Amino acid sequence: MPRLEDLPDLTRQGMLNFPAFDHDDAPCARMTRPLAEAKIALVTTAGLHLRDDTPFSGGDQTYRVIPSSTPASGIIQSHMSIGFDRTGIMRDVNVTFPIDRLSEMAERGEIGSVTGNYYSFMGAQRSPRRIEEETGPEVGRLLLEEGADAAFLTPT
Amino acid sequence: MPTVTVALIKEHAQRVKPPRTLWVPFPFGFALGNPDDPPFQQKVLSAALGLLSENDVPVLAEFPEDADAPPVLLQASAAQAEAANRDGDPADEVTALRGYYERWVDEHEGRTMVGLSGVPQRQFRGLVRYLQAFAGGEDAAYDRAPEGVEPVRFLRLATDDLKAFFMEARFSQRPRDRDEELQRWFWSETAMGNLIAAVASRLTEQGEAQTANGIAR
Repeated sequence: MPRLEDLPDLTRQGMLNFPAFDHDDAPCARMTRPLAEAKIALVTTAGLHLRDDTPFSGGDQTYRVIPSSTPASGIIQSHMSIGFDRTGIMRDVNVTFPIDRLSEMAERGEIGSVTGNYYSFMGAQRSPRRIEEETGPEVGRLLLEEGADAAFLTPT
Repeated sequence: MPTVTVALIKEHAQRVKPPRTLWVPFPFGFALGNPDDPPFQQKVLSAALGLLSENDVPVLAEFPEDADAPPVLLQASAAQAEAANRDGDPADEVTALRGYYERWVDEHEGRTMVGLSGVPQRQFRGLVRYLQAFAGGEDAAYDRAPEGVEPVRFLRLATDDLKAFFMEARFSQRPRDRDEELQRWFWSETAMGNLIAAVASRLTEQGEAQTANGIAR
């Protein structure tokens, strides 16, 4: 899926009617060094955060910082929609937030390094104006300050 | 800064037009394919990062392989229509599953999605009694709820903790069960599934349909 043809009618209509942004084109920032030398950041909208951090609530447009050295046991998810099966993330957080996979790529020299911090937002936003205008650009600035060369974004 | 994103709904990516998108034919909650399958996850990750060198944007690539999980999540109402053996006491189920849950956590370096409500799992029997009272029409707040958490919000966090406790216990009890088997078990064979559905019904009656729909439907 989600191939839309596989979904029940109601869910499919919900997806088709979801108020996603409609853009005419896309901005192009180019890589300035090869992937094997690049510092990569991870940003997710899976509502993940450190176990002791404040849980997200629905529509929450703030973000949480997850140091890239955090073990999987230190991460919890407060995006609790029953619109998706959480058992995959319960088994292995890498299925949506590949924190271990990126570290392994850095160890193997396939990417240069990872940023010290990763970032997490809440998903299923119907009107993400604050993310667009405030918290999203703020995370962008923080990543640039850390010297990130590129960011990999994952949904729930 | 260059970015690349995984997208689960191709139709949304076509509208939003992120610069570089890897569409994957996986269910929600499975952006990199399969849990506990590093080689598969690595294939998805490498395919996505490979798009960073593409500058003729927007680029929307498609990942060619399917993941294991089924596309549609079984919901409480569908599973409970099949009904089974769920007349027991959810507190006794908590006790019976505790050893399995603790084994799961021990074997995974402390990893668990239980913990949002702030109630330690050793106090879940008491939490069950509170939920039973709420579902039965009482309105007292849970006396050990974390400070500053509204009662309705606490119900959401508490029911989610109990679901995670049951699922993680089941991972250890029945390691081969996946996705639909797990949902079917929880909603149609456990008294806890029944109790959580009853909590959702009471919330709906109180005009808290949005929270209720996030708990069970």
